[in-house]
Amino acid sequence: MLRRLLFAFVLLLLLSSVAGIALAQDAVSITVRCKASPPEEDWRCNSFAVVEEEVEAELGIEIDLNLIQDNAGWGDYKNEFVLASEAGEAPDIILSGHEDIGAWAPAGFIIPLDDVIGMHSQFDDIVPSLWDSHGYAGQIWGIPQDAEARPIFYSKLLLRDLGWSEEDIESLPDRVAAGEWTFADMLATAEAAIDEGIVDEGNGWWHRPSNGPDFLYYYYGHGGEVLDMEGNLVVDSEALVATYELLGGAVASGVLRSDVIGLDWNEVWHPTVAQADTVLFAAGGTWNWPNWSINYVADKGGDEFLFENIGLTLIPAMATGNAITLTHPLTYMISSGSENPDVALELIAAITTPEHNNKHAIDSFHLGILNAQLQSEAYANNRLLSSAHYMLDHTTALPNHPGWNAWSNAYFLGIQAVETGEADAAGAADIAIAQMQNELGDGITVR
Amino acid sequence: MSASQFASASQVQAKRSRRNALRSYLGAYGFMAPAGVLVVIFFLIPVAIILYLSVTNLASSNFTSDLAKMEYIGLRNYETLLNDQFARKIFFNTIFYVLFTLSIFNVSLALIVSLLTTHIDRGAGFVFRALWILPRITSPVVYILIWKRMMAEAPFGILNQFNDWLGTPTYNYIATNPWVFVVVVNGFIGLSFGMIIFTSAIESIPKDLLNASLVDGSSKLQRIRYVILPLIRWPLLFVFTYQTLSLLTSFVEIQLLTDGGPGLYRTEVWSLTAYHRALSNYFGNAQWGYGSAFAVLLVLIGVVLAVIYMRVFRFDELVAEPRVETL
Repeated sequence: MLRRLLFAFVLLLLLSSVAGIALAQDAVSITVRCKASPPEEDWRCNSFAVVEEEVEAELGIEIDLNLIQDNAGWGDYKNEFVLASEAGEAPDIILSGHEDIGAWAPAGFIIPLDDVIGMHSQFDDIVPSLWDSHGYAGQIWGIPQDAEARPIFYSKLLLRDLGWSEEDIESLPDRVAAGEWTFADMLATAEAAIDEGIVDEGNGWWHRPSNGPDFLYYYYGHGGEVLDMEGNLVVDSEALVATYELLGGAVASGVLRSDVIGLDWNEVWHPTVAQADTVLFAAGGTWNWPNWSINYVADKGGDEFLFENIGLTLIPAMATGNAITLTHPLTYMISSGSENPDVALELIAAITTPEHNNKHAIDSFHLGILNAQLQSEAYANNRLLSSAHYMLDHTTALPNHPGWNAWSNAYFLGIQAVETGEADAAGAADIAIAQMQNELGDGITVR
Repeated sequence: MSASQFASASQVQAKRSRRNALRSYLGAYGFMAPAGVLVVIFFLIPVAIILYLSVTNLASSNFTSDLAKMEYIGLRNYETLLNDQFARKIFFNTIFYVLFTLSIFNVSLALIVSLLTTHIDRGAGFVFRALWILPRITSPVVYILIWKRMMAEAPFGILNQFNDWLGTPTYNYIATNPWVFVVVVNGFIGLSFGMIIFTSAIESIPKDLLNASLVDGSSKLQRIRYVILPLIRWPLLFVFTYQTLSLLTSFVEIQLLTDGGPGLYRTEVWSLTAYHRALSNYFGNAQWGYGSAFAVLLVLIGVVLAVIYMRVFRFDELVAEPRVETL
C-alpha cells in the first residue's frame, strides 16, 4: 500500500513538473516599469494586470506579467533604464516622459513604432496633437499614456477676502483663456493682496520649487522657441531676457519669494498651497489636486474643500497675448531588448481604451488621450476633468532633443540667478546663453 | 681556514643573506597583497576607467559599456570644464567646505570632545561619546530629514515654533544660511571619527606618564599641552589627512540638504557636480563623459594633497621604527 502511494506521489510530481515546464516554455514574459505616485496613479501599471487575460485569450498565449512600480526620482528612474538597457535587462515596456525619446531613440534603447501602430485600431483614436511630442527623426517612438495641464491654481478664499465677487472668481478661467486677464493682471492682483495684508510678502505667487517642465511656458509665453524648423536647438535672447525680467520683477515687487526654489515639495510647498489660506496663486499641475485631496486636506473635506476654495486656470497671457499651458505626456516605450515587442504593444493597445484610461484620468486628474474618452460619460461628467480639458487646446510641450537637458539646465540657472538677485535679467540671460554655448557648442543657435 | 675556503664560506653567507632578504620581501609583499589587490580593483582600475570616459562624449543618448564603441573626443570635456563659468566657484566652494568642516569639527571639536570626555568620569565620558556618534550611525536620509524638520520655516519647523511662541521673527534657516548648515551637518558626522581615534590614543598613553606630570606639578591644561598632544601627534595628522580626502569626495549630505543651492551653485562642491553631471539629471540624458572629467580632476587633487601631506607631515618618520630599536 505504502509503495503504491509513493509511486502515485512520484508520478504526480513528475507530471506536474512536466506541465510546469511546458507552461513555462509557452509563457511570454513581459516586464513593465512605471513611475507613479500611489494611490492615485496606480493605474499606470495596474491596468496591464486588468487586460492580461484578455490579451492572453486574443493571442492564445500565456503571459508572465511583471509590474514594477515605484515613485523614484526622475533622474534615478531614467538612469536605471539606461543602465538596464546596456546590461540587457531592460523592461519590455518603460513609462517615462516623452522627452526621453530624444536621448533613448538615438542610443537605440527603444524601438520605432510607425510600422506597427496602424495594426491597432485603438491608437487611431488618440488625440492627434499628442503624437507631436512622440516623434524623433521623423518616426514615432512611444504611445501616449496620459496628458495633463499645468495650470495656475488660485485661492478662491483669498480672492474673496480681496473683495472679488463669486462671479468674478468663477469667470476667471474664461477671462484668462480669452486673453482678457493677463499675467500682468495676476501680478497686480497679487501685489494688491500683499498691500492689503491678505497674504504675506512673497506669497502672492509660487511657482514650482525645483527644476522641471513648467518653467518653459514663461519662455514660450514671451515668444521663445527651443527648436527651429529643422529641429535644431535655438535660444531667443529677447524672450529669455523678458522671461527673466518677469520672474526677477515678481521677486523685486514682493509677489514671489526669492527662496521659492529650494522649498521642500512635500514638507512645505504642497501643505501650504493646499490649505488655500496662505498663497494666492500657485503654478502647479492638474495631478496635484488628488494628491492634496488625499494627503493634505482630507480632514477638511478633501475634494469638496478644494472645489470650494481653489480654482484652476490657464497660465495668463504674457507677451504673445495668448494664455497657455504645457502638457508633458508620459509615454509607453518598448525596449529594443524586448524579446516580445508585439505582445508588449498588444498589451499597451489593450489599455489604450476610454474604459481603462478614464480610471487613470479620474483618479489622478490627468487629461484624457482618446477622442472617445473625451466624449465618454465618465469623463465628461467628471467635474475636475471637465473644468480642465479645454486647456489641451492651449497647450505646448517640451522638445525631444538630446541637448534638451543642457538647454533646460542652463535656462534654470538663469532663473535661479535672477530670483536670488545674483544677476539682473540681462545678466541672467548672459549666464544661461554662455552655459548653453559652452556645453552645446555648435549645437545651439543664439537668435 | 684557507683563503679559498673563506671565500666560499662568505659566498654561501651572501647567498643565504640574499635569500633571507628575498624571503623577507616576499613575506612583506605577500601580507600586503590582499590590500594591494583591493586597491587595484577598487581604485586603480576605476580611475583608469573614468580617465578613459573623460575623453569620450559618453551620455545617455549614446550610452554603451563597450569601451571600443565610445567616441573619443580628446580633451574637449576638460576644455568645456575649464570654460565653465562656475567651475572656479565650485572649486573654491569645495576648498571652503573642506577647510571649515575639517578645522572646526573633524579635528578641533573632535579633539576637544575627546579631551573633555577622557577627563571626566569614565561612564559619563562614554555616554557623551555615544551621543556624538549618533549622527554617524544614523542613515544620511533620516539624519538630513531631522535637520530639515528642525529648521524648516514656520509653521513646519520645530525651531520656528519657538520663534512663534516668543513672538520673534521666523526664518527659513537653511535657505538663509546654507553654508552654516552644510558645515555643521557634515561636521557632526565627521567629528565622531576623530573623536574615536583621539580618545583611543589618549587612553593608550601610559598612566605613569600622565600621573608623573601631575606629580611634577603641571596643571591639567599643561599636561594636555606638553604631554598628551605631543603623544597623539600621529593620530592627529592621520585624522587631518584622512578627513581632508574624505571631505573632498563627500557630497551625500549636501545633496540631500541643499542639492548645491540655493541660487547659483551656492553650496555646490566638486564631487556633487560630478554626480549631477554623470548620474543625476531631472530630464535624463546624463553626461557620463563630462562628469568623469570632473571626477578625474578630483582624483588628481586628492593624490596631490596626499603626497603633500605625506611630505609635510613626514609620515615616513612617524611610522619608522623607534631609534632606540635600531641601535
